[in-house]
Amino acid sequence: MGLLNNIAQGVRSLFQRDRIEREMDDELREFVEASTADKLRRGMSAEQAGRAARVEMGSSNAVKHRIYSATWESKMEIFWRDLKHCVRGLLHSPGFTLIAVLSLGLGIGANTAIFTLIRQVLLQQLPVRDPQQLVTFGESTGGGVLGGIDLGTADLFTYDFARQLEANPGPFQGVATYSSFSPQVSVRLPNTAGALQISASLVSGNFFSVLGAEPLLGRTIVRFDADAPDRSPVAVISYHLWQQSFSSDPAVLGKPVSINGTPFTVIGVMPPAFHGIQQELEPAEIWVPVTMTREILLQPGFLEPRSFYFLHMVARRSPQSQLATDQGWLDRQIRDYVRAGEGQTIAPARQQEIERITALLVSGAHGVSQLRSRYGDSLTILMAIVGVVLLIACANLANFLLARTIARQRETATRLALGSSRGRIIWQSMLEALLLSLSGGLLGLGLAFAATRALIAFVARGAAYVPLNASPDSTILLFTLGVSIFAGLLFGLAPALHLARASAMPAMNAGTRTAASSGGRTSRWWPKALVTAQIMFCLLLLVAAGLFLRTLGNLQNQDFGFERTHLLIADLAESLAGYKPEQAPALNQRVLERLSAIPGVRSAALAALPPISFGAWSSSVHFSGYTPGPKEDMGSELNRVSGQYFETTGISIIAGRPISPTDNATSMKVAVVNETIARKFFPNGDAVGHTVKIDIDTVEGPWQIVGVARDTKSGNPRQEPHRMVYLPIAQILDKNGAGNQDSFAHTILLRTEGDPASTINELRSAIAGIDPNLPILQVHTMHDHMEAFMSQETLVSRLTAIFALLAVLLASIGLYGVMSFNVARRSNEIGIRIALGASGAGVQWMVLRESLVLLAAGLALGIPIALGAARLIRAQLYQMSPFDPMIFIAATAGIAAVTVLSAWLPARRAAAVDPMASLRCE
Amino acid sequence: MGQRDVVQGTLEMLILKTLAHEPMHGYGVALRIEQMSKGVFRVNPGSLLPALARMERAGRVKSGWRTSENNRRAKYYMLTARGRKSLSEEAETWNRQISAIARIMEA
Repeated sequence: MGLLNNIAQGVRSLFQRDRIEREMDDELREFVEASTADKLRRGMSAEQAGRAARVEMGSSNAVKHRIYSATWESKMEIFWRDLKHCVRGLLHSPGFTLIAVLSLGLGIGANTAIFTLIRQVLLQQLPVRDPQQLVTFGESTGGGVLGGIDLGTADLFTYDFARQLEANPGPFQGVATYSSFSPQVSVRLPNTAGALQISASLVSGNFFSVLGAEPLLGRTIVRFDADAPDRSPVAVISYHLWQQSFSSDPAVLGKPVSINGTPFTVIGVMPPAFHGIQQELEPAEIWVPVTMTREILLQPGFLEPRSFYFLHMVARRSPQSQLATDQGWLDRQIRDYVRAGEGQTIAPARQQEIERITALLVSGAHGVSQLRSRYGDSLTILMAIVGVVLLIACANLANFLLARTIARQRETATRLALGSSRGRIIWQSMLEALLLSLSGGLLGLGLAFAATRALIAFVARGAAYVPLNASPDSTILLFTLGVSIFAGLLFGLAPALHLARASAMPAMNAGTRTAASSGGRTSRWWPKALVTAQIMFCLLLLVAAGLFLRTLGNLQNQDFGFERTHLLIADLAESLAGYKPEQAPALNQRVLERLSAIPGVRSAALAALPPISFGAWSSSVHFSGYTPGPKEDMGSELNRVSGQYFETTGISIIAGRPISPTDNATSMKVAVVNETIARKFFPNGDAVGHTVKIDIDTVEGPWQIVGVARDTKSGNPRQEPHRMVYLPIAQILDKNGAGNQDSFAHTILLRTEGDPASTINELRSAIAGIDPNLPILQVHTMHDHMEAFMSQETLVSRLTAIFALLAVLLASIGLYGVMSFNVARRSNEIGIRIALGASGAGVQWMVLRESLVLLAAGLALGIPIALGAARLIRAQLYQMSPFDPMIFIAATAGIAAVTVLSAWLPARRAAAVDPMASLRCE
Repeated sequence: MGQRDVVQGTLEMLILKTLAHEPMHGYGVALRIEQMSKGVFRVNPGSLLPALARMERAGRVKSGWRTSENNRRAKYYMLTARGRKSLSEEAETWNRQISAIARIMEA
């Protein structure tokens, strides 16, 4: 109660200053009168008593001040007065304040922006119960469908294995499964005409209960929904989908939706933060039981035992169980499963191989995120870079404030001499620093919001819906506040230390200018140290920017093995439009004919995948005349292509012939392999003429190799070309000569005469002319398509370059400021030198020399640090040495040029000092 | 021995003790301390009034305006329950310290 009472009294006194003042006067007067009366009683004369009482009291104002000082509101008032003083001081030099707040805003804003992304991509935990108990079986970042592999390869599992662990989770509280990829499905809502293309996720019946995710409305999928194939056409939808497509209708539960033509019932809506365990761009928006796989993937057989490896697994650990126990149990289950799939006898070598199979338990607290594995390192590097930019901004501010402190030396000395406390003066200088940094932080928050939106848009690359958010929440606000205060303390330190040591006497005794120019060792040492540090940091950032830009250039300008210009790519989704495999060959033929007829199209082709893509169709393969060694990796990527594929993509044939339109259903089955295969399996150059068989039923072969194509980079542009087998799509047929599941093309490629983008509309209308319901999911030029493969490098190199330029700009402002200030306070010394006969050039050189010494010191410190930092980011670079001399020379030259330029202007001013003026000034 | 200021750190305790008997105005407190110490200690208003203000804020005394014995309006201070409690605590501490010092000095 005492505290409340104290606050209440304080507030009252703040609002009733007059009454409090009057009461204090009354009390004091009463005291004197009582004292006088008492003294009279003791026998003093009236005059004596009055004087004695007044002497006792002393200055009544001083007493009143002491009474008032006993209260907290007095301290607040002092604080308020100091604050007003500071604001007035800052407004007095608007140029300085503007530059200070702007540079701090940029520095703090950059930090906030990158931190916002880091938090969402790297730090945020899944919005489920006890996320730290979740583990995934393997990293689970890639997704797809594989056949004929060992369990756990690429972190993929079969349905029967997942079922087995779901029923018997061993030491885990529960083991659940979900599709390793989120297939696009065509969703039709009741009473609407168009279909939506949405990512769906297939989940086991216990998926939501193992994750511990509660629905916002209705219920989640439960065991009963997924206990037998084709069981329960029910769907749980995301908050975003509910909002966008159901207008947040609370009566959505029980509504029918059609997914790929099958009626499903909506049973639940998840909360806004829930995107499943996969944290992706365009996350799954609809969850259906894994037992409905046939309806979702439009392909049977996924649930057959030991058929397709297409599931990822996640488990909730029990708090009592040891990680090693859990890992051991899981590995035993996997090895037993693999062993059971082998024949009667297992060779000892194979036995040993099986004993090495494992699926590492990985913490799933943050979910599984391709975004994280893709951008995690980049964001960490960018965080370090923006940290350095902020340090440079702080060094600038420290220098400016120090210069102001020195310029105010006389004022400070006067205040000290008049009895002001040193603590109060230091406090005021810190307050000024904090005021600047907090204003900068406020500006930074605004800049960060805009910057984060731009960054998210870049990362999303036109994705329809991204689970990233630029709006600052309380954590971001706290971070910005923390960074601002930290920065303020950092750059407020130098002037505060200077004040703490400053002595009153010399400044009072000598002339201002003499005193200022001899300002003591600290006042000279600090600015120089700060400028040196800035030069060092700038060099670091310039080198980093150089390395990243070169890396991006190397990636972009390398030979991908195909022609990147004049190429248009479109994604076709025939099965979503209800086409059956048997219709595929005829459809492919019609599409090709229509496309080739578009004016301006030089050639058109169909393929399963474009020459470079994130996905891959792959299998183990066997070549006639080649006996694989034990455990030899015989995997290869595959593509099925139409007749003019090589012509359209510009992939040249180095031996034999390409696949041509004459390779059709009736002719001999042929294949083209790439150089990597030819080199590896046919070192004598006799690939053509051999045959290849493939471990996928639909395209088993044998296929006669008729040509060798140049290597292409079919995925990650940093990796060496993969093995590749091209098959003619027109020859992929089942035994009866009808199309099968793999007869669909999925990708259209057009080589155009002019700008490929101008053909997009013709492409769309040509497809619509065949079948208006045939969906084209995406159309873009090869150029745009390629950007996605270097988005991370593009992001890092662009941002690093921007930040490096910002840093150099800040540092040059800082250097210019320090040099100008030095020249200004030395102007009478310079005047005397000129009066004594120093030449203009001599004076210029004197000033320039000072900055060159700083440059040399900055480089001497910066080059080793930059070399060390370059080593650290080595893994991010491509086809270049982290110690590339050209980059180091360019960075050094850049920072040297900026240093000399920012020192040259003040130096010229120094040479122009009028000796008479400066002498008279004193 | 002439008049002097009270022993450092004891002013608030002495004020509490003085007010323990009855509410008093500022000069009354000063006078009572001087009288009870037989003129050894004297408290000048420059320390007394700020101390009273501090104690009022801490909730150990409260004040009110009353008419004094010679018919003048004066600000009277009186102990609160909290003040009474801290008086007994401080007195106890003080007694312990005094006897400890006394033991050292006698040794």
